Amino acid sequence: MANFNIDSKKARTYDAIVIGSGISGGWSAKELTEKGLKTLVLERGRDVQHIKDYPTTNMMPWEFAHRERLPKEITDANPIASRCYNFKESSAHFFAKDNEHPYVQEKPFDWIRGYQVGGKSLLWARQTQRWSKYDFEGPARDKFAVEWPIGYDDIAPWYSHVEKFAGITGNKDGIDTLPDGEFLAPHDLNCVEKYFKEQVGKQYKDRHIIIGRAAHITDPQQIHLDQGRAKCQHRVICERGCPFGGYFSSNSSTIPWAMKTGNLTMRPHSVVHSIIYDDKKQKATGVRVIDANTKQMMEFYADIIFVNAAALNSNLVLLNSTSSRFPNGLGNDSGVLGKYVAFHNYRASVSGEYEGFLDSTTDGKRPNSGYIPRFRNVYKQETDFLRGYAAGFGANRNTYSDRNGLGESLKSNLHETKYGNWSVGSHMMGETIPKESNYVALDKDLKDPFGIAQLKISVGYDDNDEKMIKDYVEQVSEMFTNAGFKNVKSHDGNRNPGNDIHEMGGVRMGKDPKTSMLNQWNQLHACKNVFVTDGACMTSTSTQNPSLTYMALSARAVDYAVKQMKAKNL
Amino acid sequence: MERRVALKSMAVAMGAMAGLPAWASGWSKGTLPKGRLLSADQSKNLAAIVEAIIPKTDTPGAGELGVGDFVQKMVKDCYDSKAQASLASGVSNVDEQSIQRFGKSFVDAGKDQKLQILQDIDKGSDASQKAFLGMVKNLTIQGYMTSEYVMTNITHYEMIPGRYHGCVPVKKG
Repeated sequence: MANFNIDSKKARTYDAIVIGSGISGGWSAKELTEKGLKTLVLERGRDVQHIKDYPTTNMMPWEFAHRERLPKEITDANPIASRCYNFKESSAHFFAKDNEHPYVQEKPFDWIRGYQVGGKSLLWARQTQRWSKYDFEGPARDKFAVEWPIGYDDIAPWYSHVEKFAGITGNKDGIDTLPDGEFLAPHDLNCVEKYFKEQVGKQYKDRHIIIGRAAHITDPQQIHLDQGRAKCQHRVICERGCPFGGYFSSNSSTIPWAMKTGNLTMRPHSVVHSIIYDDKKQKATGVRVIDANTKQMMEFYADIIFVNAAALNSNLVLLNSTSSRFPNGLGNDSGVLGKYVAFHNYRASVSGEYEGFLDSTTDGKRPNSGYIPRFRNVYKQETDFLRGYAAGFGANRNTYSDRNGLGESLKSNLHETKYGNWSVGSHMMGETIPKESNYVALDKDLKDPFGIAQLKISVGYDDNDEKMIKDYVEQVSEMFTNAGFKNVKSHDGNRNPGNDIHEMGGVRMGKDPKTSMLNQWNQLHACKNVFVTDGACMTSTSTQNPSLTYMALSARAVDYAVKQMKAKNL
Repeated sequence: MERRVALKSMAVAMGAMAGLPAWASGWSKGTLPKGRLLSADQSKNLAAIVEAIIPKTDTPGAGELGVGDFVQKMVKDCYDSKAQASLASGVSNVDEQSIQRFGKSFVDAGKDQKLQILQDIDKGSDASQKAFLGMVKNLTIQGYMTSEYVMTNITHYEMIPGRYHGCVPVKKG
């Protein structure tokens, strides 16, 4: 504070501060500003404004000098980011580069980050399944982690709230393990996917094949048009940023919406150092920020603080927020801060071919795929491993051309497209068990370029994961074989944890302050005016893609926080 | 029925396009950057090699479409030093063979002579020359098939399909 005297303290005081502008931060900002709170959003990266700052969004394939491949200089300098499927010529500008924010890998962990306004909401794969009651009941029933302080009924109305605004395509499938939501028109399953759905339905009582539920506007409603968004155009180049706003991102949706209220101040280039805790007031009073351009430390003040820095960075901010009251990190009376990190296991896949429907193919593109909801250990524990897995499923008609020869024969071969069999494929999305030994902590010696301690990440697979991989491969191979698919093969990609980009936990919710960090309102047990609503808050991971749940938790927590603030309880 | 849906989707797509700022639909045609790994003479040879791999017929060949520059750019920026050395020595080697066999540089050799040299490498026993030709052929096919000409006039790339139909008849021929 002493070295920052440009503005008065009053000018740097807001009703609320949100740390981070990704999927959960955008939702926190939207809800806070709509409820009339003057809100400051701190974003460590640069500004990215919808449409204007999507430099590759309308480039044709031939306009990319390397046809989407990245120069060796860039891949050599970014071994971690380069392992992400989406780090390519058209989208590399939305990824944090390895040297921007180094960290310590006690075990191999690919920490994939997007440092800009909108964060990873520009890059996500947009699958948005609700959790079911079985997912929230999991830890208590199977005696791992701690009991969730909320159940499905607590969050269901908030799922509806965020689904209607974000725009979610899906089919009402009536499956109790995967509750239906507020859906726009579904995408189509293709003929081989429908065939597989029928076969699985005949042969297995509790297994389903459905079209994915995804954050795409297939049928714009007034609320989407009001946001300036239009129907999804099936370009399937979403990672460049969508000029139509066809998929949900903070940039196209929540942030401009919050901006329109007149209550939002967006401050890019603001690297959060720590949250300020006032011993006398016994609450947090603001946030310390390092300006990324000037390297100057400054402070901003607010009555309530939402931590939405993305799971591991939210851990980092809290760990780095030390005071005489909280020497081990803000709210960390229990000592569990940074522990019980979990993720989704995407290691295995199964592929095959189908020799039917050879007179048919698909037309157009689909920014979505089929989905197999979890069927293992749902109603009771039935295997030698805990929990289960969901899976993606998709079929495509193979085409190829003969690449033999040279000269005119090669040229004519290349232009003769031939149809092969349909290819079918599936990848697993396994639930991992939060464990104390999977943790993040601050390194005692190493600093990042801003002088902040580096995050030490110690997260790995365990025996439960290996057993689950084996079961997934066996079950899906069997389902493929029973459906008459040929040439069925499985593959273990051996990807590192983190590469799924579904890291969760470290600031988990729970009923008991001795074993958890947050209560049922995502509020720090020990510091009531600080809320954490991104992936850091997750008590367990379920098998569903997590972003929709972060959105719902954020909106729910803001509703509670504002009511408490108005009642003078914060 | 599906055709009606397709037309409807297209109309929606066009309508949405009309609402976009001018720059969004008015992308400019990029020229290939001029980064060079090879000398000017070697570059001309490379252009002749890619043209021999995919020659002009009633449509342009790979040389005319600038695929030589694409191949060079890819090897220079995305490949390791071993592959870069292989490109340079391979191009020179092809030129030397042409001078030895036909008494003229590869660039000046006849169409059939050029093809003969490449086919002999393809069927021959020189592993390093075969590796060179394999790399250049793969990149030539990639650069040609993703060139503006081919994607616009032959394979009809759709930037904005606006639709997905899960089951349509395979087009014959």
